Amino acid sequence: MIQPQTLLNVADNSGARELMCIRIIGAGNHRYAHIGDVIVAVIKEAVPNMPLERSEIIRAVIVRTCKELKRDNGMIIRYDDNAAVVIDQEGNPKGTRVFGAIARELRQLNFTKIVSLAPEVL
Amino acid sequence: MLAASKSRVVASLASSRPLLNHDPWRHLGFLRSVSSSPAPGTPNPGSLELKEVEKILGDVKADDVRVISVRDQCDWTDYMVVATGRSSWHVRNIAQALIHRVKQKQKGAERLVLPSVEGHEGGKWIVIDSGNVIVHALEEKARAYYNLESLWTTEMTPKGPDLGPNLDLEKSLVKMRPRNKSKKPMKSI
Repeated sequence: MIQPQTLLNVADNSGARELMCIRIIGAGNHRYAHIGDVIVAVIKEAVPNMPLERSEIIRAVIVRTCKELKRDNGMIIRYDDNAAVVIDQEGNPKGTRVFGAIARELRQLNFTKIVSLAPEVL
Repeated sequence: MLAASKSRVVASLASSRPLLNHDPWRHLGFLRSVSSSPAPGTPNPGSLELKEVEKILGDVKADDVRVISVRDQCDWTDYMVVATGRSSWHVRNIAQALIHRVKQKQKGAERLVLPSVEGHEGGKWIVIDSGNVIVHALEEKARAYYNLESLWTTEMTPKGPDLGPNLDLEKSLVKMRPRNKSKKPMKSI
């Protein structure tokens, strides 16, 4: 359940550390974003000497949410944190590696690039 | 009387045997639905196979084609194919050639099943995801930047069930008697 003003961790090595969601893309009237949604975010905290800086506006894909994700077979996945991966306008990830476990649903939502960079797919 | 009842029991058993073999589920169509769902090993008729991918990539002159078998590292696919294109046009052409081949394979079929293509507008990194084989077509710079080969060959540790972790488990199950080394000098005296 990500909405504007939510703070998210960054699950890649792009150089950002913390994001704040400011808009959900393609949601229209929907209030919350879930795993696989693209958001517009501000970088609240960044690693020094990296291309991304504080207060930059970027796009990101949500990869982990505290709100549980339900599958058709009854499986429920929930993570300990809200995390996103920074992408550019074309959908290429900014970082070169993704950290932590990632849900299989991202592949169906056409984020195979992020899935293929991830160390573990649930 | 007793013999008659016994024979009846035998007869009822005999009659019940075929019922057991009859398999009521097949009648309901459960088994058929299970067998029709594609098993992970069997190839889907519409999807790309590794040999075809290699041939097409050779035909469109993709540079530095590398096939990585990732079956024991991840469970969501079998093979990763990484190829380099000279320009974004070339990368897009590689993707188009693969899709063209899939369409040709399924000519006359009622419903086309196309692999998902990602990143076609940019042309820097296009992923063609056809189930068991995932083809990454990258520009030279993007390939050096993301360094997918090293990710899938060295950085990922194999996750097979019969590998490293199991050996540790076997060792941990063997009972080891703790040896107290502090008392050794006492023995020698």
